Amino acid sequence: MKRIQCCVRLLLVATVTLLLTGCWSSKEIEDLGLIVGTSLDLETGDVSSEEQQDARYANRQLLTITNQFVTSETTVSGTKEGALPEKAYKNVSETGDAVLPTLRNMLLKVDKRSFAEHSKVIIIGEELASTINLQQTLDFFLRELEIRPSGLLFIAQDQASQALETNEPTKIPAFQLVEMMEGHERTTKILPPMTVAKLEGKLYSDSSFLLQNVSTENGEVKFAGAAIIEGKTKKLRGFLNESDLEGIAWMSGDAKGGLVKGFDEESGAPIVYEIISAKSKIIPHVKGDQISFTIKIQSEGRIAEHWVLSDKAFDNQFLKKAEKVFEKEIERLVRKALDKTQHEFQTDVSGFGNKLRIDYPKVWQKRKKEWDQTFSEVPITCEVKVSIKDYGTSGD
Amino acid sequence: MWEKVISYMPHWQVFLQGFLAFFIPYLIYKLFHVFLFVNKSNGKIEMKENSEQVEMVHIPIQKTLEQFTGDFNKDLLQMRKELGHNWDIHFREFQIGNTDNRAAIVFLKGLCDKELIDKHILKSLMNGHTEKSSVLRGHELQQSIRNEILPVSELLEESKVMKAVGKVLTGSTVLIVDGIQNVFIIGTAHGKTRNLEEPVSEAMVRGPRVGFTEKLSVNTSLLRQHGENRNLSIIEMEVGERTKKELVLAYIDEIVQPNLVKEVKERIETIHLDDVAESGYIEQLIEDDYLSPFSQVQSTERPDRVIAALLEGRVAILLDGTPFALIVPVTFNMLLQSPEDYYERWLSSSLIRLLRYFAAGISLFGPSLYIAFVSFHQGLIPTKLALSMMATRQGVPFPALIEALIMEVAIEILREAGLRLPKPIGPTMGIVGGLVIGEAAVQAGIVSPIMVIVVALTAISSFAIPQYNAGITLRMLRFVAMFSAALFGLYGIILFFLFLCSHLVKLKSFGVSYLSPTIPYRAGDWKDFMVRMPLKMMKHRPRLLKPKDSVRKGE
Repeated sequence: MKRIQCCVRLLLVATVTLLLTGCWSSKEIEDLGLIVGTSLDLETGDVSSEEQQDARYANRQLLTITNQFVTSETTVSGTKEGALPEKAYKNVSETGDAVLPTLRNMLLKVDKRSFAEHSKVIIIGEELASTINLQQTLDFFLRELEIRPSGLLFIAQDQASQALETNEPTKIPAFQLVEMMEGHERTTKILPPMTVAKLEGKLYSDSSFLLQNVSTENGEVKFAGAAIIEGKTKKLRGFLNESDLEGIAWMSGDAKGGLVKGFDEESGAPIVYEIISAKSKIIPHVKGDQISFTIKIQSEGRIAEHWVLSDKAFDNQFLKKAEKVFEKEIERLVRKALDKTQHEFQTDVSGFGNKLRIDYPKVWQKRKKEWDQTFSEVPITCEVKVSIKDYGTSGD
Repeated sequence: MWEKVISYMPHWQVFLQGFLAFFIPYLIYKLFHVFLFVNKSNGKIEMKENSEQVEMVHIPIQKTLEQFTGDFNKDLLQMRKELGHNWDIHFREFQIGNTDNRAAIVFLKGLCDKELIDKHILKSLMNGHTEKSSVLRGHELQQSIRNEILPVSELLEESKVMKAVGKVLTGSTVLIVDGIQNVFIIGTAHGKTRNLEEPVSEAMVRGPRVGFTEKLSVNTSLLRQHGENRNLSIIEMEVGERTKKELVLAYIDEIVQPNLVKEVKERIETIHLDDVAESGYIEQLIEDDYLSPFSQVQSTERPDRVIAALLEGRVAILLDGTPFALIVPVTFNMLLQSPEDYYERWLSSSLIRLLRYFAAGISLFGPSLYIAFVSFHQGLIPTKLALSMMATRQGVPFPALIEALIMEVAIEILREAGLRLPKPIGPTMGIVGGLVIGEAAVQAGIVSPIMVIVVALTAISSFAIPQYNAGITLRMLRFVAMFSAALFGLYGIILFFLFLCSHLVKLKSFGVSYLSPTIPYRAGDWKDFMVRMPLKMMKHRPRLLKPKDSVRKGE
């Protein structure tokens, strides 16, 4: 009997030690502050705290980090009385000279435990992107476990924190940005999304790339072209506008959907072409020292809008004519984009270098170092083939 | 060189960790083993004491050997001494025919067929046969009664008094005739039975609407009625020390593994119990592991289920006085199967079977997954769901574990109360309880609406399991899963699952692995496991039972 009692006692001790641990690392969901978006800006104004002033004297750059929190109190049904909360989100800013210490300083201001696994967007201010190397700024975000690699990256014109504000208080700007990004399948004016995971590859391969640009006007967020990040310095080089993006999309074959607007040569009336599919092929040629590229673009689509009264949509001759018009228009877009990237910014953002690396690795090894320079002088020819498959449900 | 070797030697801490990793589980094993061992030996001792007591209680040997003398007065007195004090025992004395051959019948009121006694026994004995019976005496009379007078099918002769007394108590009629040494025992037992009804605990849409009753002979006849089968053996055994009860083993000679029958017989013979009230007693006394939460014997009310099991090479145990038959051995997948799976077409029944496995998963892990997600792994919830969960949990004062416990316990109470309630108020109370728990608890802010959904879902899915006791097992284990989830999150759930698996892998039911055909792996038996393949493909009986004749259906 004694033995049994002893055993029972020991078992009891074992269970109690287990239970005493309690709910070890549990954190209830309602006590969390979900970080859904983060913006990074360069702080140029006055600073107050000693820590920040020290950094200023040591001539270090100061960052202002704004986190967008969604907590159980800001969600609509969270307020029991049925009254809508003033805002569906809560933005908290903090300034410092490195990312993580600044984020930790936020603890002094926020009652909820911040939780970044639902982080959706990271927005970097124009000024910050053009002063500090992106690899340095984003190191924490690439390194941290809690931040998911599916987060999207944006560059904001002016203040990045502005992009996390909105006039409509019931909406969460970070989610809005993510949902707007889905439009890239229906227009060529939005870049395909750049996630943290993809960015890492771009950063380490030293190639130039584009990031979607966000601008804010009167509290309304708008996608406005793209920002060019130079591969060598990993800093912001300049901006492309929406129509340049169209050219880039055609070149890189990213156009999943979208429109091309052409004008009838005789009447000057617009004809609109909607893309069903688009393919592009960049072919490098090397003759001795001379490098050149050919871009072959093939597209199928339909006539979506047709203002030319004199022509019938299902007349083959008209279709031929229209195809010509679109081919010209697409070539014009590509030329314009090429002109800007080659001559104005002198950066290769459409992967010409990559194609050369694959086809002529030895040439690439030689030219790798000053590729952007070389790229700006390379002749590029463009061949466009458009075929119209469909003219919609009307036509006479 | 030596230094290089040294650098590859692990630090002493590694050795310590290794030692601890071995020693702590070993210690736990030893502790548990000692505990179990002590318990087992105790059990054995008790059993021995019991059996000694039983022998002490046994009627003295002299008495058991007492025999009828053939002297009418003496024998009748003897019977009166044994039974006369009972209100429901009747003694009827008369004379055979017109002769002065005295005779008496002894019977139990209520248990025997009065019509049979009046019309066939008394009438045949008291009327007619005048000429002969006046002459006949002793042995000749005995032959005459046996061969000419009594038109009854069940007629036995008995010389021992105590046996005759026992027969009277089970409804037979004892006929004592002057001058005949033995008494006649006439099978007039006619116990009260109810009609054959559809089994309440195992309802089906398609399939025979017949369930076992409390009467053993009806139950065995149901098995016989299934179709002519010369190989169906029904073997009689007896259980109970004080109140003897009939128990039969049913199996199919040509299929069953003889060792299995032997094992079942041996286990039943070890039962030394005053009274076996229900087949549940037998189930608990013959199962392999009494500490396991899983039932290792299947109980069923359905004759078709028993027949199907017999044809797979299993053994059924039927006890008089209960409609629940036992089937051994049992595997885990049997608990999630219904006879209907074979009656419906294979596609639909396969899907339904998969659904049952899914439901079993939910009823075991539903609330614990909720706890793990809400209080540990919020990053794994889709963002929008996380937002709405956050909103609904806003203002709930308890951590997720307490919240889940409150609701789970409430629903268990509701279930238990619903079973016991008188039929007319049952549904009403169910609705009231459901409303109170679901709606009011949310309104009062004690629990979150999502928790109510989780609890309702788990409660429903635990009833989707065809075996009631398997459902209870899962419900019991659900609470353990909830605690482990509250301790370590998903990690805890996985640990619990592994713990459960290691137990199940070790568990055996009558020499058959509980988890088979998963472990040991038998690909052939998977045809009738998670899915039910077309009947055309199921040509063999399950191989795990090692049936003598493994082919179910010829080419």
